[in-house]
Amino acid sequence: MLRNYIKIAWRNLLKNKAFTIINLSGLTIGMTAVLLIAAWVQYQMGFERFHTHEDSLFKVYNRSTGPGEIYTWDVTSGPLGAALEKDFPEVAQSSRIYWSKDRLFSTGNTHIKAKGNDVDNAFLSMFSFPLLQGDSAHALDAVNTVVITEELAIKLFGTADVINKMVKIDNEDTYQITGVLENLPANTDFDFDYLVSLKANENLYSNNNSWSTNTFYTYVQLKPNTAVDEFNHKIKEEIKKYNAESETEIFLHPIKKWHLYSRFENGKVAGGRIETVRLVGLIGILILVIACINFMNLSTAQSRKRAGEVGVRKVIGAGRSSLMLQFIAESVLLASIAGVLAVLITIVVLPAFNQLIGSSVFINWLSPWLWLGLGVFILITGLLAGSYPAFLLSGFSPIKAFKGNFKKRGCVFNSRKVLVVTQFSVGIVLTISTVVIYNQINFVQNRDTGYDINHLIEIPLEGDIDKNFELIKNELLKNGAIEAMSKTAFGVTSEASTGSGFSWNGKSEEDEDLSFSLYRTSGDFVQTMGLNLIAGRDINLAQFPRDSTSILINEQALKKTGITDPIGKTIKRKDLTLTIAGVFEDFIIGSPYEEVKPMIVMGYKNYNYNTLLRLNPNNTTQKNLGLIEQVFKKYNPAYPFVYEFVDKSYAKKFADEKQMASLSFLFAGLAIFISCLGLFGLAANMAENRAKEMGVRKVLGASAQHVARLLASDLLKLVVISLLIASPMAYYIMQDWLQDYTYRVAIEWWIFIGTAAVLLIITMLTVSFQAIKAAWVNPVKSLRTE
Amino acid sequence: MLLQLNHIYKWVKQGGKRVFLLNDISLDVKEGEFISIMGPSGSGKSTLLNVIGMLDEFQEGEYIFNEEPVHSLKEKQRAKLYKEYIGFVFQAYHLIDELTVYENIETPLLYKNSKSSERKALVADMLDRFNIVGKKDLFPAQLSGGQQQLVGIARALIAKPKLLLADEPTGNLNSKQGEEIMELFRELNQEGVTIIQATHSESNAAYGNRIIHLLDGSKQHQTSN
Repeated sequence: MLRNYIKIAWRNLLKNKAFTIINLSGLTIGMTAVLLIAAWVQYQMGFERFHTHEDSLFKVYNRSTGPGEIYTWDVTSGPLGAALEKDFPEVAQSSRIYWSKDRLFSTGNTHIKAKGNDVDNAFLSMFSFPLLQGDSAHALDAVNTVVITEELAIKLFGTADVINKMVKIDNEDTYQITGVLENLPANTDFDFDYLVSLKANENLYSNNNSWSTNTFYTYVQLKPNTAVDEFNHKIKEEIKKYNAESETEIFLHPIKKWHLYSRFENGKVAGGRIETVRLVGLIGILILVIACINFMNLSTAQSRKRAGEVGVRKVIGAGRSSLMLQFIAESVLLASIAGVLAVLITIVVLPAFNQLIGSSVFINWLSPWLWLGLGVFILITGLLAGSYPAFLLSGFSPIKAFKGNFKKRGCVFNSRKVLVVTQFSVGIVLTISTVVIYNQINFVQNRDTGYDINHLIEIPLEGDIDKNFELIKNELLKNGAIEAMSKTAFGVTSEASTGSGFSWNGKSEEDEDLSFSLYRTSGDFVQTMGLNLIAGRDINLAQFPRDSTSILINEQALKKTGITDPIGKTIKRKDLTLTIAGVFEDFIIGSPYEEVKPMIVMGYKNYNYNTLLRLNPNNTTQKNLGLIEQVFKKYNPAYPFVYEFVDKSYAKKFADEKQMASLSFLFAGLAIFISCLGLFGLAANMAENRAKEMGVRKVLGASAQHVARLLASDLLKLVVISLLIASPMAYYIMQDWLQDYTYRVAIEWWIFIGTAAVLLIITMLTVSFQAIKAAWVNPVKSLRTE
Repeated sequence: MLLQLNHIYKWVKQGGKRVFLLNDISLDVKEGEFISIMGPSGSGKSTLLNVIGMLDEFQEGEYIFNEEPVHSLKEKQRAKLYKEYIGFVFQAYHLIDELTVYENIETPLLYKNSKSSERKALVADMLDRFNIVGKKDLFPAQLSGGQQQLVGIARALIAKPKLLLADEPTGNLNSKQGEEIMELFRELNQEGVTIIQATHSESNAAYGNRIIHLLDGSKQHQTSN
């Protein structure tokens, strides 16, 4: 019997080729979208889940109560891990990680910059980053030992077989390679090419043993079966034990949640990427629903054709259930074909998808779960899509079916129309959201940065650059490659560190905890950045050695502190007295979505890690870069010449939003496309069903134009209703989304008008083909069928 | 007695008034009879056949089929009854376009859950009997009208019904094809199948051993051959 069903289903699909193609492509696209989304969601959910000890690994977080708010952060003091290990038997082991560092690896003539971390030796036995060569337990025991990834090994030596070989790091010390790591999987937030032992290099960190300075990330592994909540309660006061002054509490955040739950509000997990994952998951479900609705719609539209068959089958002995089974078998067959096509398409488009959203989603095609899931998914899609037509068609009584007399008359909520409206509403919400998201990105991108972002490059301050800074600068000024150059604390597009505890004359009670963005420079900062100086002068340590206690502040700081006539006034922090040398107009450091904070730029000779260069705009960039490279090679020969354009780094701040925009653009497009496929099919069917009416109208003297308009307007009406339903929904959803941004765009009315106009044009194009076709038919033909 | 209709009324409401489709129809049919129902378009021939075939309902009256009171049966039981005892032949053949001749004839057996071997034997017999073995893998669209109707009859007979209901079985055929179908009906009737046919044609009606004349849903008179 089932074979019989499938045979009939197959022949039916072949017979109604146009219907099959429309339906199949709709379903295939829908399923492809769902597969991609599922793969992406699974990828996001799979972060850090490959660690053998995934259930017992935690990151230590700090929690401290500030004014009206509880702050949560994950950088801890140096001795914390060891203390936890000593004080609590529940802790199996712990490891600190110093933040990521770019170091220069050299062997012979090969010099490569690699990113990596300094870790305690327990790191490799806690986390599952297996060694291809070497002993995980002891690889990082000794001083000057390094573990590198296979990839880095091949880059350096051309082979992965590098155990015990020597490599020079940062052009100073020679390290022994004691292990070769498997390349890191895509689904981890760890990002390193090498690991060196932190303990062995203890002397590098001046605040290694300080309880009051937070410098390290601390990870702990608990013994199995430790009740985490209880344990968190026990360790709360750990810092206070060693540092009575501190108010900071600590708690553990499980590894499984690092990736998806990384936002804390008031000391509690408040969300993070999980919100995007949920949103995208919801979109996936919506797309599938749209595709299923399409299927239902087209199948029920076919009911006139199939009604006769249903009648015959009933008369010759088919029960309702066997008919339903037949129709469901048919839709499951179609879903299976769509499923196979979707898998093939997914394989082909996955790289492009990854590129579009900037991720590295991968699918493990060998996993039996994948195929099981796919099977269930196809079955559910088939059932979902086939159940409504199955119910409807199998319900015809044979007599009615033969007469073709199964139209419900006078029913306002024609279910098929409701389905079309639903479909389009989803598409419209997605479209409007896409436009708003793009708008917001544009808006923020066009925000005045406050400095001249063009012709500005950054070079890491490393090797001999610091030593030869003045020589380099003079030579570059002389050869005309640059206009200005400055040593700064870190990149001007990175997140600035913040600090409070400053005091000044006239400081009021409410300014008690005013927090400032902090930045450092050795001089010429205002000039190099192209900032607008409102008062005073630039800092210049070379010219004015006393500038080591001079500061620049921004307009915002001036406003917030209430200092008048600022030049020469002082701001104090503990025993440090800082003199204001200049005031500049606000510029954006950190997030362009936030308001600019009060900022203090201090004159500092040391602790600068960045070189900022203002290129000469009269030369070509290429010429400038060539000249700069020559000079840097001369004064810092051991390091490869690397640079970054500030405008490019700035653009990276929009990556998350752009990913979101790309996703919603992609899926809005798909939703509308699938909906239009459905509309096309529906128009065809409507034209067919109303052929007789149109024939009569033409005989009575209606023009082709009139007939075409009559057919088209019916379907256009549905799209207009969808617009009316979806626009307020989209407005509401986007209003909510925008709340996350301090600096945000207003939702303009033209977005709705524009979307409506474009959609109506698309609909017209979709529908008019069928309408015009129907209108041109010779009425004799359409009337003869009866 | 195979079936008995007692004072059957069927009507529809149109503008608040009853329009009678069947008006006080009474009819006794014995096993082995061949009855023709005659009358102009709209006289209620098809409606009467549908009522007898239990595909359509009626508002008043009694219908006893094979000693079962059809009027008081539930939908499901009625369906079971007609599936077991009644075969239908239609003017428009109503073959399933997507199925071959063989599969069309086989389908009723599939719904009866017959065994595969049994189905093969029965369908082969039927093809043989109607001389359409050579056409068994063709689709309906590839056959002439007469051949399609042969398949339709073969399908109606495959489940061995007691009663064959034929609604204008020759209506779409030319006279020669029509005659062949009628000859076939006569043969079937002689083999013991009870037949009730609705027809326009006097000559076709004459194949029956009883003719019932309908007009506006009422039985006018009855003639016996």
